[in-house]
Amino acid sequence: MRIRTPPLFRRYHIAVFVIVLLLSGLILMSLRVKQRQGIGFADAFLLEIASPFQKVTTAVTQGLRGVFSHYFFLVDTAKENDLLKKKIAQLQEANHQMQEMAIANERYRRLLQFREEGVGPMITAEVIGRDPSSWFRSVTINKGEMEGVNRGMAVISPDGVIGQVLKTSLHYATVLLITDYNSALDALVQRTRSKTIVEGKEENRCQLKYLLRTEDVVVGDRVITSGLGGKFPKGLWVGEIQIVEKKGHGVFQHAELIPSVDFTKLEEVLVIKESTLPAWPSAPVREEKDKRARKTPGEVPKKK
Amino acid sequence: MKKALFLIFSGLFLMSLQATFLSYPPIQRVRPDLTLVLVLYLGFSLPLFSGGILAFLMGFLMDLFSGNVLGLYTLTRPLTFLIAQLFRNRFYWQGISFQFLFVALTSLLEGLLLLLLLITLTPSPLKNLYPSVLTHLLPQALCTGLVTLPLFSFLRKGMEFLREEEERTGIRLRG
Repeated sequence: MRIRTPPLFRRYHIAVFVIVLLLSGLILMSLRVKQRQGIGFADAFLLEIASPFQKVTTAVTQGLRGVFSHYFFLVDTAKENDLLKKKIAQLQEANHQMQEMAIANERYRRLLQFREEGVGPMITAEVIGRDPSSWFRSVTINKGEMEGVNRGMAVISPDGVIGQVLKTSLHYATVLLITDYNSALDALVQRTRSKTIVEGKEENRCQLKYLLRTEDVVVGDRVITSGLGGKFPKGLWVGEIQIVEKKGHGVFQHAELIPSVDFTKLEEVLVIKESTLPAWPSAPVREEKDKRARKTPGEVPKKK
Repeated sequence: MKKALFLIFSGLFLMSLQATFLSYPPIQRVRPDLTLVLVLYLGFSLPLFSGGILAFLMGFLMDLFSGNVLGLYTLTRPLTFLIAQLFRNRFYWQGISFQFLFVALTSLLEGLLLLLLLITLTPSPLKNLYPSVLTHLLPQALCTGLVTLPLFSFLRKGMEFLREEEERTGIRLRG
């Protein structure tokens, strides 16, 4: 069954629709203006119907944006990540280099200060190798006869005595460390002024020979060079006494010391050129100077 | 000539490795004696004359770079070479177990010989060195035995390569 529309409406249906629409609008507008608020029921209803759609749409949009931003645009992120990683690596490398430079600088500063405190000419050399055998203790340095290094010369560092030059070539030399069993060094116990001979014992240990039993030597006493050999200046730090034993009978007591120099970390050394040298500033005096210099790192130590 | 040069450079390289990379703690205590392995290889693979000269040279170099004033390695290295020469026709020296055992044992014997020589030749008694037999010598001998296999393999491959090259050059010259 078909509902027949009136012929007048059929003719003017567009105009009618426009008028009704405009009137509805006007009425609603007039109502809102009058109440200064929305129409409660209609608004709530429309809101209730429209919201789920909006919710879904937003979720999908957000999902798509997420997909694009996290996956489709990941190429750029990956590139950026690589770039940042490279930058971090470069910065880390630069940081390491700067740290290494700072450490080297500190070493050189101490070496320079030590040289300037000394009285004789010295040759600075770098350690380029260690003893290839397990029985002996020596290091190879990168200075030889051409630079004035000769056999028997004393080798020291800011931390103390290292050893003596054993063999030389034109540009290299082998230094026998004080820890080698072949090494012997005339020394003094700083506090008691007891005379002794420091002989190599083990990997990083020496023993004190001919130390009289009557001498009051205790653990922690410092041992310095006596200057009697003519190669090492007097007052250079050799090490610290670690063991003192007065076993059984005899004229001498047994004592061992730990060298002041850590031979496993030896990098630069000083070769003393003069064979007869006056006394070196005592170890405590040097330490005090060193402390002062460390407190004021900007200052350049003055040459005497 | 090329083979000799290869062995000399290998010796220098191994000694440098021993004096630098392997000389830092904690490896230093148990570092393998790489040059000894080379000397033993010379003993197994080279004729007496040329091998002996090279072994002597290796011993001399060891003495030169070490704090050894007596020149003990110049004696012990050719001796070790001769022992290897003596055994090379009696055993299958290319076997892994033989290589390990022989090198470890030779390293131990050489260490004991060095100790004996040091005690004999040094005026004052060297009691300090006795504990080294246990703390250094034994672990070092074992480590030296362990590195034998890769080192022998490297040296053998190098020598084979040079031999092949020599043969190729010979064929080309004859052709």
